[in-house]
Amino acid sequence: MKKKWIVLLLTMAMVLGALAGCTGGGSSDGEKNGDGAKVENDTGSESVNNASTGVQKMTVWCWDPTFNINAMNVAAEIYKKDHPEFELEVTEISAGDIVQKLATSTSAGNTADVLPDVILFDDSLVAQEVVSYPEVFMDLTDAGIDFSEFSEGKVACSVVDGKNYGIPFDSGAAIAAYRTDVLKDAGYTIDDFTDITWSEWIEKAKVVKEKTGKALINGQSSYNQVTVMLKSCGGSYFDEDGNIDIAGNKKIKRVCELYLEMLEAGVYQEEVGWDTYIGNINNGNVAGAMNGCWIMSSIQAASDQSGLWAITNVPSVDGVDDATNYSSQGGSTWTITNECKNVDLVIDFFNSTFAGSKELYDTILSTCAISTWIPAGESEAYTEEVEFYGNQSVYATIVDYTAKIPVSVINAYDASARQAVCTAITNVAFSGADLDEELVAAEETVSFEMEQ
Amino acid sequence: MKLTMRKKENLVGWAFLAPAVVLIVIMNFVPIIQAMIMSFQSGRTGNMTFTGLTNFTRIIRDSRCIDALKITLEYVVVTVPLILALAVIMAVLLNDPKLKLKGIYRTCIFVPAAVSMVASAVIFRSLFAADGFVNSVLMNLGILENGYNFLGHPSSARIILMMVRVWKMLGYQMIFYLAALQSIDSTIYEAAKIDGATGLQQFFQITLPMLKPTMVFTIVMSVNAAIQVYDESVNLTNGGPGNATMPIAHYIYGLAFNGVPNFGYACALSMVILIVVGAMAMIQMKVGDRRE
Repeated sequence: MKKKWIVLLLTMAMVLGALAGCTGGGSSDGEKNGDGAKVENDTGSESVNNASTGVQKMTVWCWDPTFNINAMNVAAEIYKKDHPEFELEVTEISAGDIVQKLATSTSAGNTADVLPDVILFDDSLVAQEVVSYPEVFMDLTDAGIDFSEFSEGKVACSVVDGKNYGIPFDSGAAIAAYRTDVLKDAGYTIDDFTDITWSEWIEKAKVVKEKTGKALINGQSSYNQVTVMLKSCGGSYFDEDGNIDIAGNKKIKRVCELYLEMLEAGVYQEEVGWDTYIGNINNGNVAGAMNGCWIMSSIQAASDQSGLWAITNVPSVDGVDDATNYSSQGGSTWTITNECKNVDLVIDFFNSTFAGSKELYDTILSTCAISTWIPAGESEAYTEEVEFYGNQSVYATIVDYTAKIPVSVINAYDASARQAVCTAITNVAFSGADLDEELVAAEETVSFEMEQ
Repeated sequence: MKLTMRKKENLVGWAFLAPAVVLIVIMNFVPIIQAMIMSFQSGRTGNMTFTGLTNFTRIIRDSRCIDALKITLEYVVVTVPLILALAVIMAVLLNDPKLKLKGIYRTCIFVPAAVSMVASAVIFRSLFAADGFVNSVLMNLGILENGYNFLGHPSSARIILMMVRVWKMLGYQMIFYLAALQSIDSTIYEAAKIDGATGLQQFFQITLPMLKPTMVFTIVMSVNAAIQVYDESVNLTNGGPGNATMPIAHYIYGLAFNGVPNFGYACALSMVILIVVGAMAMIQMKVGDRRE
């Protein structure tokens, strides 16, 4: 009998322990909350006396160790030269998990315990998150950052209601990268794909397909491709007043038509997952890639293809107004949360690094992080000829593209709208639906989502 | 107060139940009740107001929700009976005392259940990729001329999702049937044999009726799980192409965590699913558990 009670007591203790663990976890220091791997900065400096100097630590959420986290660490190294007491703590957390953690922490009301000082967002998500959680993000309009030194289109991604909410980071300028050896087999050079229209592109891509059996480009579903095409003519799913504009939008319809045409011709290969998307580029199943310029770091992963690639601008959408050969897709922006413990420190950090250090951008150029901070583009490192792209000076080329990207209207519901349009495309492509009807349905879906 | 022995025993019993009950209440029931409250609210996260039944009336007008429900229903109707039938057949075959190496067979069939969904999704994605194993085989056999993008087409993608489900759940359910089969007294079969029953007759007259309680249990479980199917579509197709493989649980998740969040509506939809699952379970118990 006695034993029984002891067991019982122990069990109760276990339960209480478990519960204490659950509730205790939330209130402890924010650093315990990262469910991704914690990335330590490499100095391992002693914790400083916070009482006398203020908090000298900056916490950051971002993803991709070789790209964003690397850039942050390089920036911290630069900043530490003048501020030896500065400490950086980066938590690696995927872009999707960031959105999720924002949702759960705001609805649980414990943002103070969970959120870091700085969060990185994909450009297409900044407006959505700021509109969804206005109390979370700091208005940086008068925070002392000179936004005029960044490229205009990029800054616009993080402006909501005329207020700046983000510090631009890497460029999402769209590039078209092709395998010059495959093009040669089809009788083309990279110049044949420069400054052309989509209709011309499709005709040439058909020739490539016929002669080499390869689709010219691929993409994960239609998401990124449609964005590249639509943004190249300054198109948007919404008008400037925030009203949905899909069903009667000539640009969207033309983009859909062109997309369907290249899908039909087999010159664009739809992939289900990101892994197969990158995989088919790297193993040469497709003859090119078209995306934001950050895709270069994935292309270059196949080091055996050095010298076989070249980049150029994207085709322009023929048959609509404002068509250009420049566009953007992806790229990301740093935001500062209202939970930031030492705002002056964080602003000073950004002014000395991402908004003020050529050294930083020169260093991270090797990871293909192209600056949107205009002075960095004037640096000598950007004129370097890159062997992988047949000694083309790709960085300078991309900086040039970045400056020419048309500005499009940004809306918090962009992601929903893009999803709806891509669904319309799928329905037309695979179920034989009528494009006009599907676009009307897409508009209805989005406006349904917007009323809440 | 002096407790009788029986009362004492009861008390001890309840005390042992208490830890589990406390945990389940806090981890499951409290969130369910909170979700229930939230289903009557709408507005921005962290700043929601009560809006009565608007979230529920919204469901009727939501065409994407109806599509997701259709996909889920199709999934349930196809996978549940298929898994049930295959699991019973496998279990009966593997229960044969004369069969050699059955440990190996059983393990092979059970292994998929132990593989994490993400890992199996990666395997199936590469199997059915445009240049994957399945396409290579079909092309080498001359059935296909070019690689077919199985996961890129709505109907084939749905079929593959169902296949993954069957592949994963088969072994798991088979274990239940094996356990049930082993608890059937062999003397019953001997008696039946003496009476001249054929193998088929034994199966339909003895095995199946004896397995009925297990069947009710596994059907309730698998219908339940199939209605809430989520990880297959997330990991394999992410709901695509378009929304062709987006079941209701995935849709609800998206409402709350992708795009501009709408927690109130997501909660309202989950409540509807809760009611549907509860009702289904009740009907199945009533139908399956008729004790003569």
